[in-house]
Amino acid sequence: MLELRPIFNALLRSKAGALMLLFQIALTTAIVSNAAFIIYDRIQYLQQDTGYPEDEVFSFRVLTFGNDVDLVQRTELDEDMLRSIPGVIDAGFFQEVPLSGSGSASGFGIVSADQVTEQQQSTRAAYTFADHHAINTLGVNLIAGRNFNPDEVVVSQSFDKVPNVAIVSQAFIDDLFGEGEGLGETVYLGSYPLKIIGVVEKMMGPWLKDSAAENFVIIPLVQAAVYQKFVVRTSADERTAVMRQIEDLMLDAYDQRVINNIDGMDIAKEDYNASDVLMLRMLLVLIVVLLLITALGIFGLTVFNINKRTKQIGTRRALGARKSAIVRYFLVENTFICAAGLIVGCAGAIYLGNLLLEEYSLPALDNSYVIATAIGVFVTSVLSVLIPANRAANISPSVATRSI
Amino acid sequence: MFLHYLDLSWRSFRRTPLVSLLMVSAIAIGIGITMTSLSVYYMMAMDPIPHKSANLFQPQLNTMDADRTWSTPDDLPYQMTYKDAMHLHQANLPYRKSASYRTGFSVHMNNADVKPFLEPARVIGQDFFTMFEQQFIFGDAWSLEQEKGASPLVVINRRINDKLFGGDDSVGRSIYLDDTAYQIVGVVENWETHIKYYDLNNGSFNSVEGIFIPITLTQSMQYDAWGNTNGWKFEEVNTYEDRLASELMWLQFWVQLDTPEAVQDFSQYLHAYLEQQGQLGRFERDNVEFALRDVKEWLAYNNVVSEDNQVLVGLSFMFLAVCLANILGLLLGKFLKRAPEVGVRRALGASKRQVFYQHLVEVSVLGLIGGVLGIAIAQLGLWGVRATYSYYSALATMDVTMLLAAPIIAISACVLAGLYPAWLVCRTTPAIYLKTQ
Repeated sequence: MLELRPIFNALLRSKAGALMLLFQIALTTAIVSNAAFIIYDRIQYLQQDTGYPEDEVFSFRVLTFGNDVDLVQRTELDEDMLRSIPGVIDAGFFQEVPLSGSGSASGFGIVSADQVTEQQQSTRAAYTFADHHAINTLGVNLIAGRNFNPDEVVVSQSFDKVPNVAIVSQAFIDDLFGEGEGLGETVYLGSYPLKIIGVVEKMMGPWLKDSAAENFVIIPLVQAAVYQKFVVRTSADERTAVMRQIEDLMLDAYDQRVINNIDGMDIAKEDYNASDVLMLRMLLVLIVVLLLITALGIFGLTVFNINKRTKQIGTRRALGARKSAIVRYFLVENTFICAAGLIVGCAGAIYLGNLLLEEYSLPALDNSYVIATAIGVFVTSVLSVLIPANRAANISPSVATRSI
Repeated sequence: MFLHYLDLSWRSFRRTPLVSLLMVSAIAIGIGITMTSLSVYYMMAMDPIPHKSANLFQPQLNTMDADRTWSTPDDLPYQMTYKDAMHLHQANLPYRKSASYRTGFSVHMNNADVKPFLEPARVIGQDFFTMFEQQFIFGDAWSLEQEKGASPLVVINRRINDKLFGGDDSVGRSIYLDDTAYQIVGVVENWETHIKYYDLNNGSFNSVEGIFIPITLTQSMQYDAWGNTNGWKFEEVNTYEDRLASELMWLQFWVQLDTPEAVQDFSQYLHAYLEQQGQLGRFERDNVEFALRDVKEWLAYNNVVSEDNQVLVGLSFMFLAVCLANILGLLLGKFLKRAPEVGVRRALGASKRQVFYQHLVEVSVLGLIGGVLGIAIAQLGLWGVRATYSYYSALATMDVTMLLAAPIIAISACVLAGLYPAWLVCRTTPAIYLKTQ
């Protein structure tokens, strides 16, 4: 019915072209499945929930050079001024800004660092200093415990007085104490004890690519310094307007300083992730173009085969073959090559996936991607054969009776 | 003959425009994609200071307890403590060397004319200028005496000088960095380096600093370090003095060693120094561990070429292979269809070699056209890279080498793909085709 045998024999007469097509299909399958998987992995990473209303929050930095100013007092005045700007929901001093790509991290232990004798249980976490407005400013969800009381916030320029409480992310407390435990316990940053009084459902630290990206600790300390950062939250549609006037407002309040890096949280995150977006786009272009090239290759080769066999096709038609038989011939021929190519290609894809896994920090290739790619490549190849094959089917039987 | 072959290629191109166009676009796209990722890779991996990269060394000292590990393959820290860096900086050795770190200031003129702006600065010793070949437009580096005296002096680059002094000779004038006036002793040319190889802390392709100040001012002026500070044990660090005396690591150090003997000598010095520090009980370890890496080794050690980029270059070359297989298949069809014509040529006296040569010229022409179009596609690709990731803007360009490489890769790839079809077609026996015609 499918005339497999004669088609296969005919194929063997032009091995080289068929082999090239096979090679092309195999490589395409290997590349596309791996590239698609990397793309999926990056999209997952880029779209993850960070816990913040990113389009409502922005931050900026202040570098004070005037030496005629009491920095502690200045910081408090600035905070009050920021909170009174129309459109601002809340604002405050932050030592480090989440998702910004710059911050501080440390191991937090359950024993004071100066009493540690051996390696003790400790968990890495990023931390920031901020005041009791932090939770509201970041727009995060406090799920257990309470916010800082104003009298727990230490405002100072040195370390002579330190806070003794902290609010932490759920991921951090689960890491250190196990699920559902830890509220009210004490953790140590170096030798400083901090009692955990509140747990936030989700707030990610400054580095999304950190090994402990979801561990974040807020310590109620406003450390006035010449170089400091502020975070402001507004409603999403008023943010641009507030951001635009922030430099003037700050300089009006005190002008011996420089205001810069006024960045929306989503923009800062985009900057931090720009290399991933780049990789994603390049791979996407690669996949699309590759499929196109392979499709064109199959198309071109089929056109050639048809031109070469015009006479034979005419003869077959003259001898009574239906148009569908001609189309079927090319489809079956293509399926032979494609199937062989896909088998080699799937093996190649898995090999390449393993190679990437071993050599680079990429996750293991999911086999469903290989299968989906194989199906996609097969459909593409059938489509690119159908067009020339239909043309071939229209070759008139009279062609056979003419000489070349 | 060559011109005749070119003419033949052109005729053949016109006879089968669709397939020829397919082949040209396959090679053009293949080259375009490959050159886009290869250009970025090439710029990342390029030696930033080729004539000197083997003479500039970054020493790494293991001043941690023996049981401490680090994120590096050999457990050596990337940076140095202040006391180690300054000891080496001031050591009486006949080599150019300098500790350095990054900080920053609000720069202003203490008047209303210039709006204060934030600018990163590099804190260094005077040898730094010579080691990294900074070209002075005006003035010169501060002297060794001035450095030892910790005077508030500054060297600025052309960009800052243009901004503040309209490009005039500003030597002798003062600028304010935060609240302190610094006297300008020299103006250097803008440092055009696409890899910030002397300090990879804030990203390998970050912008270079435009302000240079003597490192001996550190103690009195208490500059913040704008980079990573790494600790490995618990220390009470509350004041700047604590920080300078601590085991915190936050400085870079470079030394220029021009001969193998100098490398040997400096290594021995480091060995002796670490042994002595160990005996003083600074750290608990029995064996002395240090490394001395030159610029290229240092870049490789810091994985300056990103993993993503290596993956992309690999994938694009595989992509090019697909394009080649594509072309090979099409060429096979195209050349074999021409077998009758070749049969006649052979019968009229063309040698196999001539037929082979003719077909290779034809594929080279395809390669050349594809390569040139490929450059255009690569430029488009690189534009896309720059638009997506401004951080790569200095990298996502093609220099002359890459521009020349594109058609060469394209032509060699096409010739490679054309070898088999050309060989097949030149084996055509004239007799068969003469008979049927």
